[in-house]
Amino acid sequence: MTPLLEIRNLSFAYEGSAALVFDRLNVTVQEGEFILVKGPSGAGKSTLLRLICRLNKPQGGSILFQGSDITSIAPAKLRSVVSYVAQIPQMIDATVEENLLMPFSFAINAAKPRPGKEELHEMLRKFYLGDVTLDQSAMKLSIGQKQRLAIMRALLQEPLLLLLDEPTSALDQESASMVFSIMERLNTDDRKTLITVTHIDFKPETVTPLTYTLAHRSLHLNESDH
Amino acid sequence: MNQIINISTGQLLLALVFILIAQASSFIYHLGLNRDITIGTIRTFAQLFLMGYVLTFILKTSNSFLVLSVFMVMVVSAMFIIKGRVKEKQIPYIIPTFLTMLVSYLATAIFVSGLIVGITPWWEPRYFIPAGGMVIGNSMSALAISLERLFRDMRQQKELVEMKLSLGANYREASLDIFRNAVSAGMIPSINAMMGVGLVFIPGMMSGQILAGTDPLIAIRYQIVVMLMLVGSTAVSSVAVMLFVRRRCFGSGEEVLLTPL
Repeated sequence: MTPLLEIRNLSFAYEGSAALVFDRLNVTVQEGEFILVKGPSGAGKSTLLRLICRLNKPQGGSILFQGSDITSIAPAKLRSVVSYVAQIPQMIDATVEENLLMPFSFAINAAKPRPGKEELHEMLRKFYLGDVTLDQSAMKLSIGQKQRLAIMRALLQEPLLLLLDEPTSALDQESASMVFSIMERLNTDDRKTLITVTHIDFKPETVTPLTYTLAHRSLHLNESDH
Repeated sequence: MNQIINISTGQLLLALVFILIAQASSFIYHLGLNRDITIGTIRTFAQLFLMGYVLTFILKTSNSFLVLSVFMVMVVSAMFIIKGRVKEKQIPYIIPTFLTMLVSYLATAIFVSGLIVGITPWWEPRYFIPAGGMVIGNSMSALAISLERLFRDMRQQKELVEMKLSLGANYREASLDIFRNAVSAGMIPSINAMMGVGLVFIPGMMSGQILAGTDPLIAIRYQIVVMLMLVGSTAVSSVAVMLFVRRRCFGSGEEVLLTPL
């Protein structure tokens, strides 16, 4: 079976730097897997996710999505199925509803079914945002609420792979637990494939993620965790 | 009434009193502008005298190659002035900007001298060079403002643009607001000039024509054409340059190439 994502001999260095962040990194992700990537700060965890959705360009190697090299897929098409949520959630200065429906304003998602208000309310409740109304300003939400809203917005375009970059790093313990719980449910209930970068020791109750450590310019599977 | 009063060399030098006042103000209040005022004055004299002699020569010879060469020098100079103002090192914007300027200014100047004024040949230097000069001078400032705004906003709003890209936007959709703001920032001064013309100020070209003895009713017709030409050429060149340069801000994967300075 063709893996959902396959990274082959990936090499990357930042512009103007000779030091490689990744040196012939390899990893395979099957559909439905829940991957956790850990590693010290500066190891390139965020960069790895950004390379998968082409927000950065590698110097060598290839990344295959459903067997096709990502460079052969139109960038907007790739990012409508491989959705990346940044560490610091970004909102436009508009209502919660306008922020949530933003993906549908882009040509690539225009034909996808647009959720109605009732569906959005239901989703907000699932994301522990039951007290948030659709017509309130998204800019006035707390960072924890924005983070959950950003994950929800990314999911509305029905991606096949969700990339979460340190989704709990800026959050308090309570908000972080909510986000962890959401990630767990997305994988177990909705069968979403997730790659989450985190430096926090996260042990879900109902699922055992494949945990990798990013060190020495490559990914290493933590066998002890499984 | 229609006789032009010549300004003698002595009278011209008398106008330096204004510069002395400016120099004194800078000296007394430590504005640090004395050097720039001196250089600016010397350049004003040198460049305009040179232009005067070149124009006299061109008007006498009436050679299309010479006219277009002067036009080319004006566009190249404008490009260097823009390069001096827009200090962007990461994105190669100079060639697309230069080519767009050349094509759009040439088209505007031909349209004005050939169709609106209806002069034959269309490159008649008496009309073509002043029209070209005004278009280039005005659009040059607009382009510098637009380019500066584009690069600044792309850097400041990189995370926002990347968020939109991550949600399936193509590079045009992700940078639409930045593109709009950059174009309008460049166009606003030309539009404002249309609001104030004749009420707040009398434009330089019209003043010059009136001082040289032209009937004010003819001078205003020329000025109206100039004002409309400036807005149109600024819009065309700003939109075209922003379209080309914006694409260069993104890589082959439509990733944002600008990094914080």
